[in-house]
Amino acid sequence: MKYQFKTHLPPAALGAFLALVFILGTGILAPAPPEPGVELADIPFYRLPFGPDAAGKARPFWPSRLQTENGRFADPASIQSAAKCATCHRREFDEWAPSLHAIAGRDTVYERAVRINEGLHRDGIEKSRFCEGCHAPGEVLAGRTNRFKSVMPSDAETEGITCVMCHTATHADPKEGNGALTLAVNTGVDRLPDAMILAAPRDHARAFGAAGTNALIASSDFCGGCHTEAYDSSMSKATSRQHVQTTFAEWQGSWYAENGVNCQDCHMAPDPAAYVRQVRAGNLEKPERYAHNFVGSNYLMFDTSLGSNLTFLRGGILPGLTDARNTALIARQGEATRALLRSAAGLALREAAVAGGRLRFTVAVQNLGAGHNLPTGVVDQKYMWLEVAVRDASGAEIYHSGAFDAERGETDPDAVIWREDFRDTDGRRIPDHLTFITATVTHVRPGVPPKAEDVVAYEAPLPPEAKGPFILEARLWYRVATQEFAYNTLKTDLIIPPFELAAGKFTLPAGKEAHP
Amino acid sequence: MNGRGLVLAAALLLAPVAGVAADDAEGLGLANVKEFTLEHSRGLVAQAELLEAGLADYHALIAAHGGDYAAAWAAEGARLAERIHTIRALWLEASNHYETIEGIVAGIPETAKYDLILDAGNPGTESEDVAEYDLPLPDGTVLKRPGNLFHTITEPLFWGMDEKGVKLPADLNGDGKVTRGEMLFDANLGLGAAQGLARWAKALEADMTAWKPNREDALTSVVVMTPTVGDYFGEWKESQFISGEIGAFVAQSRLTDVEGIMSGCRRMYSQALSPVVAAIDADLDSRITAGFEELLGLVEDTRAREAAGTKFGAEEADALGNEAQDIADRIVAMVLQAAAKADVQIRG
Repeated sequence: MKYQFKTHLPPAALGAFLALVFILGTGILAPAPPEPGVELADIPFYRLPFGPDAAGKARPFWPSRLQTENGRFADPASIQSAAKCATCHRREFDEWAPSLHAIAGRDTVYERAVRINEGLHRDGIEKSRFCEGCHAPGEVLAGRTNRFKSVMPSDAETEGITCVMCHTATHADPKEGNGALTLAVNTGVDRLPDAMILAAPRDHARAFGAAGTNALIASSDFCGGCHTEAYDSSMSKATSRQHVQTTFAEWQGSWYAENGVNCQDCHMAPDPAAYVRQVRAGNLEKPERYAHNFVGSNYLMFDTSLGSNLTFLRGGILPGLTDARNTALIARQGEATRALLRSAAGLALREAAVAGGRLRFTVAVQNLGAGHNLPTGVVDQKYMWLEVAVRDASGAEIYHSGAFDAERGETDPDAVIWREDFRDTDGRRIPDHLTFITATVTHVRPGVPPKAEDVVAYEAPLPPEAKGPFILEARLWYRVATQEFAYNTLKTDLIIPPFELAAGKFTLPAGKEAHP
Repeated sequence: MNGRGLVLAAALLLAPVAGVAADDAEGLGLANVKEFTLEHSRGLVAQAELLEAGLADYHALIAAHGGDYAAAWAAEGARLAERIHTIRALWLEASNHYETIEGIVAGIPETAKYDLILDAGNPGTESEDVAEYDLPLPDGTVLKRPGNLFHTITEPLFWGMDEKGVKLPADLNGDGKVTRGEMLFDANLGLGAAQGLARWAKALEADMTAWKPNREDALTSVVVMTPTVGDYFGEWKESQFISGEIGAFVAQSRLTDVEGIMSGCRRMYSQALSPVVAAIDADLDSRITAGFEELLGLVEDTRAREAAGTKFGAEEADALGNEAQDIADRIVAMVLQAAAKADVQIRG
């Protein structure tokens, strides 16, 4: 044995050495693999109407700040459909599928608003990269947000913010916003067939679950990449930066940020309303897991009583879902959405007095559970208002403000309202979200900050015959779209129903000259 | 001479013949491009004239009451409501005709100004893309550079989106309530705008008649019209979803339009572009041709099923719509890639 080993060792060592040399030589001499992604020059007819940046570098995705990690366009083949991911990640798919993220690029209201904006400018489609960077990032990164779409659609074309768009993120700039995310859609993905994923799941996990990516997408910074939005001259008529959506900044300066409660803690908790109540009770323990529902405030897109109209509004049914399954998932998320909304706000009577034949009272609108302003986001269509009605002892109504006309879908024009207004260069209000002609953004009343309240004062003449005690009924309403916006954009008579966030009933002073 | 030499010699001998055949086919295809465009131009003129007549009737009803909209509504409410309903339907038809050829009109330097006047131009208060025309109204007023006729003037006017044009809120559908869009609009502006629409539509048709399309025009036509086909399919899909509950803009099935437009696209490609593409990349040409066949097959099958009484559910209608759009997107991408290989430029 020893003899044989001594005899065969030299040729075996030589063989091993030669094999090593061969392997190294092959590695050195073999041509480098092509850099993943697609070069700008390889996308025919791609238009760059906004010119290069200050350093002279091309800005293929501008006015969105979205980027790929290697600066190249995404190969559509690398953007896999969520339906494919669902093969193994069924629970996550079922959570994500009814979410607004899943339909971000296809819901009819959004899609028509973008089309109307595109029609406002010669380079409208290219300008819409600003919108699509957050709503349909795969389309922008593949080079399809272009007047002439010379790139093949990906399997995830209609899926909005699909799996790959978050699980390849490497950088976010929440202060700049406007889609300021960098995604490793070219270098951070695997292209393994199903069998290989099953055989070597670690490679798949390394591709879509890199430590840096996992840490980033668990942070509020990541959300801020899109939930910070400002207009400038690239996509609007603004001559100075106009803040349109400040959700990240609202959170960043809040008690929630100070105490480490992130966006994901509430919006990805399995039961968001329960988690908000837990935090309100002082328990900051993190959720037991993070679900992919991204529960938010848009109750309309989960209103299954709309029937087929809801399918129309949501832009159809996602790949990988049946009609029945789609409806069931939407119904479930609708309950979570409504519960979350109800956990956010409160009403309190602060002062009340009768003096000089007039009734004066103040109502506090409280942000009790939202880690950002109430309302938040782009609130030129979404808005919140306060309805107050006062009755005397006989039940006669002596004051009413903020009524909603359910037949016409109109809110009392004199209501106390929390909304921002887009204005054109002449200062006129633009009611239908025409970003490309917006010059300034003003607030009717800014949103209520986290853990703060906005005190609203009312004063009304008392009819001579009115006798107390007076009963004040206050209701805080939220609506996801103005009727003007719905009508102008969809050309339908669909009344957008409001949602009651909070209600309170209070007894006011009884006498003609009384103070509480 | 070996076999390879024979093939080479045959190819050299036949090449000029193939070139002539391709030229003939391209010429035929370009003629089809022009005919298709003219067909929709004529359709636009016809609808605009009907719209003008509808507005003239509406204007006369208001004028018969001295311009008193309340009095006119009290006396002729039902007729006015019916007129407005008709006017909106005619506007949609006219707009659909224009949208079908918009990409071509905007892409041809000789006709680009009509796109601004009819559909895409800004008012004179803007600094760019201004619709350079003035609009005379029946009362003698002349609106200086008022913006495009379809979307700046008539659409907001006819649907009550522009408060200034609303003369009287009125219960048009007789359901006992007056909701947004239920109103009598300014008859003077409406008639003037409809007259302008008819006048400029005719001018466009005249210039289109004189137009001599080239290969670039054919390419532009195919790449701008194929996605429009997807839009029409989408409208059909939505009409399945909404079953008449909402969405006054999609009252009819669009499958007929889809089939007509798709056939036109296939014809334009096969006759004007395919010979050029095949000479450079035969595989790409065959894939594009197969794409058109697949799309047309899908449309024809769906239309046949609808005609046979099939009522499509939301899930199936959506799947069909997505499939049609996906095929159309792939066709356009391949046609553009072929154009780049053939060094054919796009106009527009």
